Amino acid sequence: MTPDIIYGVTGIAVFAIGLVGALCAQDRLRRVLALKLASVGAGFVLVVAAWRAPPAAPDPVPHALVITGIVVMVSATAVALALIRRLQSLEAEDAE
Amino acid sequence: MQSDPMTLTLFAPLFGAILAFLFPRAARALGLVAVLVTGGAVVWLARAVLAEGAVTLALGGWAPPLGISLRADGLSVAMLAMTAAVGLLVSLGALDALRDARQTRYFWPLWLLLLTGMNGVYLSTDIFNLYVMIEVIALAAVGLTVLSGTRAALRAGLEYMYASILGALLFLMGVGFVYLQLGRLDFAGLITAEPSGALSAALALMVVGLALKTALFPLHFWLPAAHANATAPASALLSGLVVKAALYIFLRLTTYMPLPDEVLVTLIGTLGAGAVIWGGIQALRAERLKLLVAWSTVVQIGLIFIAFARAGQVGLTESWKAAALLILAHGVAKAAMFLAAGRIKDEVGHDTIRELDKSAIRPTLAQFTFALAAISLIGLPPSLGFIGKWSLMEGAMAAGYWHWVGVTMIGTLLSVAYFSRVLAGFLRFDRVRAPLGEHQGWALADVAPLTLAVSAIGLGLLAAPILSFIELGYPFGAMP
Amino acid sequence: MIDPYVILDLLLGLAVVALAAAVLTVRDLFAAIVLFIVFGLLSALAWVRLAAPDVALAEAAIGTGLTGALLLKTLHHLRYVTGSLDRQAALSVTPVQPVPMAVIWVNAAFCGLVTLGLAAAFLGAPRNGPGFDALVAEAMPASGVEHPVTAVLLNFRAYDTLMEVVVLLAAVIAVWQIERGLSEAPAPALGEVWAGFARLVLPAIVVIGTYLLWVGAEAPGGAFQGGAVLAAVGLLLLLSRLYVPRPAHRGVARLGFVLGTGAFAAVALLVAGGGRVAFEYPLEHAKTLILLIEGVVTISIAITLAALFHGREPVALSASETRHDA
Repeated sequence: MTPDIIYGVTGIAVFAIGLVGALCAQDRLRRVLALKLASVGAGFVLVVAAWRAPPAAPDPVPHALVITGIVVMVSATAVALALIRRLQSLEAEDAE
Repeated sequence: MQSDPMTLTLFAPLFGAILAFLFPRAARALGLVAVLVTGGAVVWLARAVLAEGAVTLALGGWAPPLGISLRADGLSVAMLAMTAAVGLLVSLGALDALRDARQTRYFWPLWLLLLTGMNGVYLSTDIFNLYVMIEVIALAAVGLTVLSGTRAALRAGLEYMYASILGALLFLMGVGFVYLQLGRLDFAGLITAEPSGALSAALALMVVGLALKTALFPLHFWLPAAHANATAPASALLSGLVVKAALYIFLRLTTYMPLPDEVLVTLIGTLGAGAVIWGGIQALRAERLKLLVAWSTVVQIGLIFIAFARAGQVGLTESWKAAALLILAHGVAKAAMFLAAGRIKDEVGHDTIRELDKSAIRPTLAQFTFALAAISLIGLPPSLGFIGKWSLMEGAMAAGYWHWVGVTMIGTLLSVAYFSRVLAGFLRFDRVRAPLGEHQGWALADVAPLTLAVSAIGLGLLAAPILSFIELGYPFGAMP
Repeated sequence: MIDPYVILDLLLGLAVVALAAAVLTVRDLFAAIVLFIVFGLLSALAWVRLAAPDVALAEAAIGTGLTGALLLKTLHHLRYVTGSLDRQAALSVTPVQPVPMAVIWVNAAFCGLVTLGLAAAFLGAPRNGPGFDALVAEAMPASGVEHPVTAVLLNFRAYDTLMEVVVLLAAVIAVWQIERGLSEAPAPALGEVWAGFARLVLPAIVVIGTYLLWVGAEAPGGAFQGGAVLAAVGLLLLLSRLYVPRPAHRGVARLGFVLGTGAFAAVALLVAGGGRVAFEYPLEHAKTLILLIEGVVTISIAITLAALFHGREPVALSASETRHDA
C-alpha cells in the first residue's frame, strides 16, 4: 500500500463528507465549513495525482493548481462570511 | 508593445475594472470606455476569424499542454460579440437605472471583472483555466446580485454563493480526475482521449457542477430569488449573460470528451424537459414581474438542454448549433426583458403582476419593449428565438424523437400563457381608478432595452449568416 | 514487515476523515472551527508526506490559518449581534430545525455512494501516471527560476495566476460593498501581555514572510505563502489596535488591492512585442521580472488578505449606522 492510494481515498471521502454537509447543513456557518472541507478533498486528489513513487520527484503542475485553488477558496469564503455577517446584523435589527 | 485582439479582449475590461475601482468618481466614464474598447477588440477578432478561421495564441510562448493557449473560433466570437453588445447596452441602461452613488461605484468594477471572466471563458482551451475563470465570474456575479443591499437580495446572494462554490468544487474535482487519467488539461488532450472510468467520473462531476452553475432543473433552486431581487441592470447581466458561460463550457466539454452513451444525453434532455414544465408552472404562479422573468430563464435553460439532446448522441455534431442559437437569442431578449421590467417597476412603483392593470401610470415604451422580448422568448417568427426553436424541432423530427417536439410545444404554450398574464395587465384599463398619466415613462433609459428587444427580433432575419459564422474554424470539427 | 510509514499514513488518513466528519457533527460551532483548524493542519502534514511542501505551506497559512481567523471573527460577530456573546456554547448562529433521521441516513448513503464511485474511478486510473514531469524538466532552464512550482505559477501558467489575483481583487471589492457601513462587534481587546507580545513578534513575522517570498525562486515558498504570513502582520496590527483603518486610508488601500493585478497584467502586456506574445518574458530578464512580479503581488496579497479579515470599507458612519457601537 502506497501513500497515494491511502491519501487518494482519504481525499475522496473528505470531499464526499463536505458535499453532504454543503447539501444538508442548516446553519450558515456550518455550510461554509462543509464547502471548505470539500475543497481540501479536491486538493488531496490533485496532490495525490502529482505524487510519483520515490525517488522520482512529483509533478509540480498540480501543486501550482492546488495553491491557486486554495487562494480562490479563501476569497470565496471571505465573501460568503461577509454576506453572513451582514445578514445576521440586519436580522438582529429586525428582531429588536 | 505588440497587441493582438484576444489579449486586448481580456485586458481591456481588466484594466477598466482596476481604474474604475481606483477612481470611483470617474467609474462611469472609465467603465463605458473599457466596454467600448472591449467591443472594438471583439470586432477586430471577428475580422481575424472571418479571414483565417480559428486563431490561437500560446500565452507566454508555452504551447499546450504545458502552457495555456487562447483560441477563438466562430462560436467563441459569437459568444464574445453577444456579451459585448448586450454588455454595452446594459451599461448604457445602468447609467440611468443606478442613481445611488454607492451602487454606481461598485457596479462598474464588479461588472468589468465579470466581463473579464466571461471573455476568459470564451477564449479558454484549458479546463483548469476555466475553473479559475468561473470563480472570477462567480465572485463578481454575487457582488452584483447583492448590490441593492436588501435583505432578500442578500439572502439570495448567499444561496447563490453556496451554489457557485459547490459547482466550482465539483468542477475542480473533475479536473483532478482528468489529470489523473490523461496527465494534461488542454482541450486537445480531451479530444484524443479514449473512454475510461476516471474520465466518466470527471465528466459526471463537471456536468453536475456546471448544471448547478447554469441552474439546470432540479439544481435551479438558487436562480429565481437571485435574479429577481438584484437591481435591474444586474439582473439583466446575470440572466442574459452569466448563466451562458457555464452553458458554453458544458457545450464544449460534452462534445470534446468521450460520452459514455446515449443514456446521458437522454437524461440531460429529460432534466431540460423538467425545467421547461416546472419553470413554466412556477412562472404562471409568480406574483411579481421580475420573479416571472427569472422563472422564464429556468425554462429557457431547460430548452437549451433539450436542443442539445434533441437528436441523440449521433446528432451531437449538429445539435450544438440549435443550442447556440437559443443561447444567443435568450441572452439578447432576456437582458431586454429584465431592463424593461426594471423600468416598469421604477415608473409604476411596484411589480406585482395582478396590480399592473390598476396602475394609472403606463410606461408605454417599456411595456412595448417587454412585449417584443416576449415574442422572441416565446419563439414567434421572425425572431431569433423562433429560428432556434425551429432548428431544435427540425432536428428532433428528423431523428424521429417526437417526445422532444412535444415538450417544446408544451413549453411554448406555457410561455404564451405566462407572458399573457403580464401583457393583459399592460392592455387592460378598466380597473384604473385615477386619471391616466399620458405619455408616462418615455425616458432615455428606454433606448437600451428597446434596442436589445428589436435586435432579438431582427437578428432572426440574419439567422443564416449567424449560422455560417458560428461554424467558422470548425468549433466541433477537427481541432488543430 | 510493515513499513512504519504506511502505519503513519493510515493513521493520518483516518484522523483526517474522522476530523472532517467531526467538524460537521460536533454541536458547538466554536469547537467545529477549532476542529476544522486541526483538520487543516493535519491535511497539510499529509501533503508534506506526499512531497508537496509548497502546497502544505499554502494550506497551513491561507487555507487553515487565515480561513480559521475569518471564521472565528465571523462567529464572534454573530454572537455579538445576537446577544449570545457571553453564552459559551452558542449552538448555531441561525435558527435550526431538527433534521429528520431519515434525511440524515439518505445523505449518509449518498455520501457513501459518491465515495465508492469516485474511489473506484480513482483506483482504476493509472498510478504514477502521465503528467507534465518531462515537459517541465525540459522547459525549466528557460523559465528564469530554479524552483519548479514557482516556474509553473509565474511563467508556464502565469495567466492562471494572474486570474487568481483577479479573484482576490473581486473578493475584496465584493466584501467592501457587502459590509459597507456595517459596524464592528467590539473585538476582545488584547491584554497588556498580548499587546507586548504582538510588538515583539511583528518584526519576526515580517522577516519570515519576506524570507518565504525570497526563497520561492529556488525552494518551497513564494508569493502566496509569503503574502499570507505578511497578512498575519496585518491581522495582529488590527487585533492589537496598533492600526485602525480610517476613511482617509481608503485611497491607499484601493491602490494596495489593485497593485498586484495591475503590475502583473502590465508586465505581461509590456513584454509582448518583437515576436513575443503576452506573458513571454525575455530569457535574460525572466528572473528579474518574475521576482518583481512576485514582490509586488506578495505585498498586494498581504494587504488584500488583511482587508478580507477586516471586512467592511472604512467609511464615516452615519448616526443611524453607529447604533451597534453604543
